[in-house]
Amino acid sequence: MNFETIVGIEIHVEMKTKSKMFSLAPITFGDKPNTEVALLDMAFPGTMPRVNKEAVKNAIRVSNALHMTIDHELWFDRKNYFYSDLPKGYQITQQARPIGSEGYLEIDLDGEKKRIHVERLHMEEDTCMQHHFSDYTLLDYNRAGIPLIEIVSKPEIRSGLEARKYVEKIREIVTYSNVSDGKMEEGSLRCDVNVSIRPYGSEKFGTKVEVKNLNSIANVEKAIDFEAKRQSELLLMGKEVEQETRRFDEAKKETVLMRKKTDAADYKYFTEPNIPPIKLSEEFIQNAIDTCPELYDHKLERFLTDYKLNSIDAKIILSDVEFANYYDEAAKFTKLYQALANYMISEVNGYLNKNDISILEFKVEPKFVAELVELVQSKQINSSQGKEIFAKMVKENKSPLKLQKELGATLISDEETIRKLVLEVLAQNVTLRDDYKAGKTRAQGFVMGQIMKKTGGKVNPGIANKVIVEELKK
Amino acid sequence: MNYLDLTLSEIHEALVNKQVTPLELTKEAIKRAKENKDNAFEMIIEEDAIKRAEELSKHEVPKDNYFYGIPYVAKNNLSTKGYETNASSNILNGYVPLFDATVIDALNKAGAILIGKSTLDELAMGGTGTSGHLGTTYNPYDPKHLHLIGGSSCGSAVAVADSIVPFALGSDTGDSVRKPASHSGLVGLKPTWGLISRFGLFPFAPSLDHVGFFTRSVKDSAIALNLLAFHDDNDSTSSFKPKVDYLKNLSSDVKGKKLAVITEIFNSIEDEAIKSSFLKLIEKLKNDGAIVEYINFDNKLLNAIYPTYMVISCAESTSNNANLDGIKFGPYLGGKTYQEVMYNARTNGFSPLIKRRFVLGSYSLMRENQQELFLRAQKARRLIVNKCNEIFKKFDAIILPASPTPAPLEKGSNEKVRNDYLAADNWLAIGNFGGFPSITLPMGFEDELPFGVNITCEPFNEVGMFNIASNVEKNTGFAGLSYQNHLEKEVK
Repeated sequence: MNFETIVGIEIHVEMKTKSKMFSLAPITFGDKPNTEVALLDMAFPGTMPRVNKEAVKNAIRVSNALHMTIDHELWFDRKNYFYSDLPKGYQITQQARPIGSEGYLEIDLDGEKKRIHVERLHMEEDTCMQHHFSDYTLLDYNRAGIPLIEIVSKPEIRSGLEARKYVEKIREIVTYSNVSDGKMEEGSLRCDVNVSIRPYGSEKFGTKVEVKNLNSIANVEKAIDFEAKRQSELLLMGKEVEQETRRFDEAKKETVLMRKKTDAADYKYFTEPNIPPIKLSEEFIQNAIDTCPELYDHKLERFLTDYKLNSIDAKIILSDVEFANYYDEAAKFTKLYQALANYMISEVNGYLNKNDISILEFKVEPKFVAELVELVQSKQINSSQGKEIFAKMVKENKSPLKLQKELGATLISDEETIRKLVLEVLAQNVTLRDDYKAGKTRAQGFVMGQIMKKTGGKVNPGIANKVIVEELKK
Repeated sequence: MNYLDLTLSEIHEALVNKQVTPLELTKEAIKRAKENKDNAFEMIIEEDAIKRAEELSKHEVPKDNYFYGIPYVAKNNLSTKGYETNASSNILNGYVPLFDATVIDALNKAGAILIGKSTLDELAMGGTGTSGHLGTTYNPYDPKHLHLIGGSSCGSAVAVADSIVPFALGSDTGDSVRKPASHSGLVGLKPTWGLISRFGLFPFAPSLDHVGFFTRSVKDSAIALNLLAFHDDNDSTSSFKPKVDYLKNLSSDVKGKKLAVITEIFNSIEDEAIKSSFLKLIEKLKNDGAIVEYINFDNKLLNAIYPTYMVISCAESTSNNANLDGIKFGPYLGGKTYQEVMYNARTNGFSPLIKRRFVLGSYSLMRENQQELFLRAQKARRLIVNKCNEIFKKFDAIILPASPTPAPLEKGSNEKVRNDYLAADNWLAIGNFGGFPSITLPMGFEDELPFGVNITCEPFNEVGMFNIASNVEKNTGFAGLSYQNHLEKEVK
């Protein structure tokens, strides 16, 4: 029997706002444990929540990118449960009225678009980080209160591949809108997937299994494919799929049982009494949308039409929003768009990879990269001089024009000087003219090689070629 | 006679005229606090208060700052930086906050001197003043300690009624300022919800919680509200309304004012002294030009007040106190799992009465009960508030006895959820349901025990409320009432 895989995905996205969802504690990530904590984040008695406006704007932007209906009134609820990572004993979330509802996104399956509907998007706050040791646990409240967006898909995903594309699309939206850095491996984008299977043609959903701990998009795909296979094997053996929570074991590449689900927990939701309903004006919502950083699809189209990049290069550049933004900035200083793209993809990217840093840690001004591309492309320097300048530029963040002077990296472009060199070569190799006239064009290359050798490669090749041909023809 | 026996505004005048200094006042207040036998204090702040008073005594007293150099007391569920704030609950023993509540901060800045933290019913969840971890707080009007003062702001009420200080902060979720005010001959105010910041008030049930206070005159109450009513960014429910000068607007002219007496509530009162005192007062108000009408509310709604209050307040309280789990706050008593740690802390930290309320609250929020209990209570709350709003369309205020009896005896009282029910004993919670401004002030005495009258108005009509209260005060002649002053008058 063949089974259809049914997947629904809940994604938690950690926002990179300056401060927390309901307190003024700063968020910088990676700071010392328990140094970015406001009294509210530790649930000091009498402290009260204040809604972070930036977080609301972010939620509006992502809702808009997902074509959702945006609620014009903000409502928050308390989700009550006891857990050691939950400071207040409740989480402030949006249960009854999520800010975004009923939207969709499109994924590309071999050129065909498939629409996946998104049920809801809401804001909430993160819990604190637990570090478990053999007989004790340490709590880091830096994470407590960081704004989260939770995005819940409808169960319309049908395979691991579709799930991967769905998560990629969400990540692309949240990174391009500058809402989150979207790093799954660091937990700023977290996926829980619900997987069930049913015989093709059946309307009824099977028992769903929740898989947690997916720390990469690749693992989302693997976990779903594994889970679908495991469930179908169970059914084919006449066994039942049990409702449970599993996690993905990266080493074994399989899902393993975490806990059996009994009755769904009762979170005793009620409206947060310390935050009155907040009216969002049409103006505020529209402004959040209008000021949203350019999203992927729009940027791609612009790169193809304005910069006339080929689509493979454009997509490589767009695979990292910051890289794309850097390119955009550099493109303001040159019209050699494709050359700039090539340079960014090979030289700049190569440097980043070699040093294992991100473009944000790349200290060179975009303008300088553009200038260097111009220098190389106009053949005012050769490629090895270009590399030399680049090496110095990444250290000193100086203009390549300045560095060119400092390094004395110029090419011989004076025709008469070049002609002298060419004539010297021809004098030493008397057969060359005849060879050339007899159709042996290799002669031309030979002369070029010789003068390059003599000058250490510092001859402008364009001008040299012209002179060589002139002299060979004589 | 001592200056502490005067009202806040009278003391202020004495300070301005250099008849007394902040230091003298503070020393006397601390002395009185120590001498008091009613179990009013969780903590007396001596050293710091005197240091501060000394500093303040070096400067001229600003004429327009009524709180400069005034000793005061705060209920111990208001966060005070550096001073243990335990809400009279064992679970918070030893908790010293890192921040001041907004109201404490405002009083500090004005130059008021905090001389003590007062007792309360555990976590402000009670109305008798018997359930705090230091035991029962008694009524200064009964040195034999047979009578209660009521709660939950019991200690603050004692501090003002016994002339220890002219002003004390309390909190009011059901009637926790206005009921003890009635039992101790004080002016007890709870303004419109959102008018005074709740930041730093330990939450019991935020949708019903208010910061309130005790004074010995209506004028003092208006002065205090002038200081404490302002927008606070730390409290998202804080009002943005422009400031009003309640003192400047204080008038006792009630000509043409329309007052409503809720018939069902008045009729349910059996105490003859209270009834006749109220009727006399109504006659005086009428003589001064007020129009008083008896109106029907709806018994069904009145009977719903107490269960509605219990369901909502208990439900919210379970959630608000979930942070007291032995991990961050509350005693760490060990345990193999986090559940055990929490279980041990909460089992030992809360009294059975509190746990009872948590169970009630949790039960009413459970998925299978929420519709029938919590949401039904919300609906009842809305209907009651709607009914009040209808009344406020036609009337300036509701006026009624604040309590059906004077201070109750300790014997026989308890904090358990009761079956017997009297609307007249619970009607003040209406003020919390709708966030209405509501003030209790002394109306009379029965067997040497005071009882009060209450005036409740529509939201943000504090000016109207003070106006009527001021007329009542003029007619009762109880301005400045305290236990000491009352004794002296009796002697004369």
